[in-house]
Amino acid sequence: MAGLELLSDQGYRLDGRKATELRKVQARMGVFSQADGSAYIEQGNTKALAVVYGPHEVRGSRSRTLHDRAVINCQYSMATFSTAERKRRPHGDRKSAEMSLHLKQTFEAAVMTQLYPRSQIDIYVKILQSDGGNYSVCVNAATLAVIDAGIPMRDYVCACTVGFVDETPLADLCYAEEGGGGSSLALALLPRGGQIALLQMDAMTACKGVSKVLDEVVRQHLQDVSVLTRE
Amino acid sequence: MIKTERILHLKSFRGRKVRVVREHYLREEVPCYSAVCQAGCVNDGKVLSGELTHYVVPDASVVADYLEVLELRELQGIVFTQTAFQAVQHNKGRSRQYNRLRGLLKDPRHNCVLFANEFQEYSYCPREKGESQDKWQTKCVYSAAVWYHDHLAGLKPIVMITEDQAAVTQYSSLNAGVYVISIQDYLQNFWPDLQAAHELYSSISQALQEKGSEGTEREYAEHLPAEVLEAGIKSGRYVQGILNVNKHRAQCEAFIRIEGSTNKNTDLNSDVLVCGVKNRNRAVHGDGVVVELFPKSEWRGKTTALTEGQGEEKTGEEAQSQPMPTGRVVGILQRNWRDYVVTFPPREETQSQSRNSQRILVVPWDQCIPKIRISTQQADALQDHRVVVRIDSWESTSLYPNGHSVRVLGRAGELETEIQTILIENCIHVPPFSEAQLREMPVISPEKPWRVDPGQVVVRRDLRDTHLVFSIDPRGCEDVDDTLSVHTLPGGEVLELGVHIADVTHFVAEGSLTDLEARARATTYYLADRRYDMLPAVLSANLCSLLGGVDRYAMSVLWELDARTLAVKKVWYGRTLIRSSYQLHYELAQALLKGENAEVPELTQLGTEEKDAKLAQLTQALEMLTHVARHLRAKRDREGALELEGVEVRAQLDEEKNITALVPRQPLEIHETVAECMIYANHWVARKIQESFPQQALLRHHPPPRQEFFCQLVDSAKARGFFCSTRSNKALADSLEQAVDPQDPLVNKLLRVMATQAMSNALYFSTGACSQDQYYHYGLALDRYTHFTSPIRRYADMVVHRLLTAAINLENAAGHSKPSASNKELEEMAQHINNKNRAAQQAQRLSTELFQCLYFKDKDPQVDQCCVADAVIYAIRANGMLVFIPQYGLKGAVYLRNREGQVVTVGQDGSCEWQSGSVQRYPERISTTCSRGTSTFSLFDHITVRISVQASRYHSVSLHMEVISNKPHQNAEQQPPQLQGRSQLVQEVVRLAEEQAHDKAARGPKFSKEEREFCQSKSPNLYSLLEEVRELALIEQSPCGGTAVKSLQYRPYSAGMLSTC
Repeated sequence: MAGLELLSDQGYRLDGRKATELRKVQARMGVFSQADGSAYIEQGNTKALAVVYGPHEVRGSRSRTLHDRAVINCQYSMATFSTAERKRRPHGDRKSAEMSLHLKQTFEAAVMTQLYPRSQIDIYVKILQSDGGNYSVCVNAATLAVIDAGIPMRDYVCACTVGFVDETPLADLCYAEEGGGGSSLALALLPRGGQIALLQMDAMTACKGVSKVLDEVVRQHLQDVSVLTRE
Repeated sequence: MIKTERILHLKSFRGRKVRVVREHYLREEVPCYSAVCQAGCVNDGKVLSGELTHYVVPDASVVADYLEVLELRELQGIVFTQTAFQAVQHNKGRSRQYNRLRGLLKDPRHNCVLFANEFQEYSYCPREKGESQDKWQTKCVYSAAVWYHDHLAGLKPIVMITEDQAAVTQYSSLNAGVYVISIQDYLQNFWPDLQAAHELYSSISQALQEKGSEGTEREYAEHLPAEVLEAGIKSGRYVQGILNVNKHRAQCEAFIRIEGSTNKNTDLNSDVLVCGVKNRNRAVHGDGVVVELFPKSEWRGKTTALTEGQGEEKTGEEAQSQPMPTGRVVGILQRNWRDYVVTFPPREETQSQSRNSQRILVVPWDQCIPKIRISTQQADALQDHRVVVRIDSWESTSLYPNGHSVRVLGRAGELETEIQTILIENCIHVPPFSEAQLREMPVISPEKPWRVDPGQVVVRRDLRDTHLVFSIDPRGCEDVDDTLSVHTLPGGEVLELGVHIADVTHFVAEGSLTDLEARARATTYYLADRRYDMLPAVLSANLCSLLGGVDRYAMSVLWELDARTLAVKKVWYGRTLIRSSYQLHYELAQALLKGENAEVPELTQLGTEEKDAKLAQLTQALEMLTHVARHLRAKRDREGALELEGVEVRAQLDEEKNITALVPRQPLEIHETVAECMIYANHWVARKIQESFPQQALLRHHPPPRQEFFCQLVDSAKARGFFCSTRSNKALADSLEQAVDPQDPLVNKLLRVMATQAMSNALYFSTGACSQDQYYHYGLALDRYTHFTSPIRRYADMVVHRLLTAAINLENAAGHSKPSASNKELEEMAQHINNKNRAAQQAQRLSTELFQCLYFKDKDPQVDQCCVADAVIYAIRANGMLVFIPQYGLKGAVYLRNREGQVVTVGQDGSCEWQSGSVQRYPERISTTCSRGTSTFSLFDHITVRISVQASRYHSVSLHMEVISNKPHQNAEQQPPQLQGRSQLVQEVVRLAEEQAHDKAARGPKFSKEEREFCQSKSPNLYSLLEEVRELALIEQSPCGGTAVKSLQYRPYSAGMLSTC
């Protein structure tokens, strides 16, 4: 079968959204009382849970201690029931490790780590249900959890994905759209300064239109996400 | 928006079932696209007319089965539901139908819209557990119909049509104003007079009924499932390609042309042969198929003998060439069925068939297509008529495909029927222009003539008083789309050459009905006796035609050339206002150049002195033009431009459309001069738009030919002792230049014809779809080329005009204008125009052949001198040879052995007769041996043939040639035939000389300095990409010192971008 038609002639996507519409976002902070901060977020059918511990003193090997700022430790995992076919290994695979690293880099850019020298902040994120845009949902969940924990940040980190089909940018891709063969770009942003914390692009074809995608959709719509996540 | 969920059960790649949950958003405001909408929907685009009596909502099965009926333009106000639309979309093997439906919805001439009912909050109904798909679809369509009725506040009755009787009884009485009826009732009640719809309906429904009652005996092997085919192609086990049936032996031989470089079988560089109908396995000419190769021991060669007549196939002792890859079809990827013209067999034959219900085997006009079985009640009335049919299906249990009739063309053999047949067989649709289209045209009448708009005078450069503009066209030309000007600028150092092209796009707005119609036609169709215009006559023959003495809008290219070296100093592009001073024709211009005393019609009224002065001015301009053109031509020749020959002959018709003669046309230098200027303009416009829009400019390229196609040329040249180098276009041009036989100028002509045949056609493309080294035009030896100079009769030129306008605006207004079409759309359009051009050429050729046959039809071959002509042998086959008749521009086969096994022998005086004997073939000659001795025919020999007409009931009429002497034909009142032949060889003058010129020449890819030195391409590379990312203002040195994390990820295969060498 020729690939799915991701964008109909009338401008509807597979699930009935228009090109620039986001999925429905629902979020809740403080879902657990044991942790220092926690949050739960749903973006469409992608659901994630984030928990923050700390700042506390560095656990494990002391050698990781940094003397001028805090260490950020991130762990990303996916529940075995999160995908259509049951996952064998919830965490520790190559993809999760990569995602953990990306999260860590993102939050090192956002959290004011220099306020907590010789300490550690743990961020654990778990995907409960996966339907595209896992990275951006994780970032949004973790931001809420960090806010809940009361750790100072330069700005809230907001993330969203965008795809490029038939020269039209599509905001907030779902799973079917991510697998549809086009290019997809995930972007985490500190909206107030308009600064980019992380940019990741997966494309099978040349990415001639990056600037167009970035300018027209991502910047504008990340504002929307930031409004939503702040509530 | 409300979020709901949809649960789908899909099959995973491993064949396991997976439960997938997808979100499904519902919204209140889904546009209804109706003109009578009360709720204020945002209806942009096509809107259902408010004047209709009712709207029709077909359900999914009706759309799937009876789309053809709904396609009729008379049926209006059709609301296609998303449910039905997706049912067609997801139906495997119906992608063609899906594309047709999409085309229908986009086509503004059809009054139909798509309603996204599944995204509408109140018309969506979720599928319940255990509900069958058909029931659910019917329910959805019905609730959409009800919503539509309520949404329009009951202003329009809604008719839902379905073939499901249960649905009719269940829903028909639920809502007032929403009627549920069957399609038959609908047609009878609402369209009782629309005969075409009724016929189409009954023929389709009959075909559907018959489908159920197939026999069970298997005639063909089943096709393999799509997954297996895909895996097989990837692993190299199967080969994918397009099926091409050999016209001359449609029953037994077909070839698969391998597509692109996808096949991994490196030893497979030729086509794949498929022998016999069983191995072809229900594939029809043109289908995309997958073949499995046989082991090498079973490979066979293709037949090299000529076959006489149709249908009767002999196998066995026929001569075969080298064995080539042979295989069988295992699956079909893409059906490529179109409308076919068929002929009903005469009564005697139908009766023997008709025991088997009402099914009849009809014979397609195209010999490549198998017979088609159709069900009809009208077999008797339609015998010997030509009818359009469509193929519906071809089951493995059936020997022939099943189809249904669409419409009747007329009795076979009549001129109108035959012309219609040619049009339909080439998929050319040229209905008269509709009212709505003509309404878009400016009104002009004698009382209210068209005037130049003062607003336009301001924005255009006015050349009316400053430039001497003139046009040179064939005599009696109505649509003048190009004019020229040339003069020396003050100071004498600089020469200004101008090409001014009719500004069609000023009158035809993009997206207007006229524009869409022109896009659909893509070109003006020239047949032997008539033409079908691309634009309405008011534009093509009046407003856009750059006639003499009137003000016209134009698009101009003006070059400032150095007067001595003729190097380009400056180029100006833009819209202008011109008044052509002289409307010359070729013969007149040539006469002026030669200094002959020719009468220019524009000057007859003037006094002698003034006349002489003006004439001198004009002649000087023409001389200057010739000088420039010679220089340009020489420059291209140095690069390797080719000069080749076509053998098209134009039939001269009298008022009753009878052929009176085949009039020769003397090629004049002025033809070439005008053509050269046009090529120059095209080239510079191509440069301009390509530089302005590197990703989305429409250009024309001519790919270098494959070397193996030159075999015949090289061998034939060798037979006459010439060496032919085909390494590059320059080498080819040089060796063709030298291959001249002083005794027989035809040899060179024929060699050039062979070279032309070896080449591929020039094609339009979008610059984003090819890499830059593929832009090259082999025939013209230009690095970039496009079509700009004939917007009246080619749609591609209109596209280029729009691109050029956008490019000019871009320059002036710094980025306010962008081309309207993206690379993808442009590439689609280029493909469409290429296809239509091919069809136009084909139709023109067929109609010329038709008239050639008509010319010989009334003449008795035994008596009439016209039917005996001189011919030249240009190829040798196993049982005969191919000859070219210069006098009529005909090509054909001459047999040396007939079906009884007799061969042609030559007597003492050169006359030929049939005797039993044998034929022996050599590379350069063929000889027959019998009791009277041996006679030999070699390549390029002149012989005399008699031409007769071979009538055919089912196919087109063809000409038959018979050798009557091996001496050149000497006719008392004629000059020596070869001289006559030379003058008779007419270049293809029907199209502009410019167009054929580019179907000539070539040269190897030109690398830039960087490419040669560092193997680095200029196209987007990683460096420029990174540069782009840098420009995105990543926050490296932001005041708060945040760590910017950049991660550019590429999958391994995008690394190919780094280097194109």
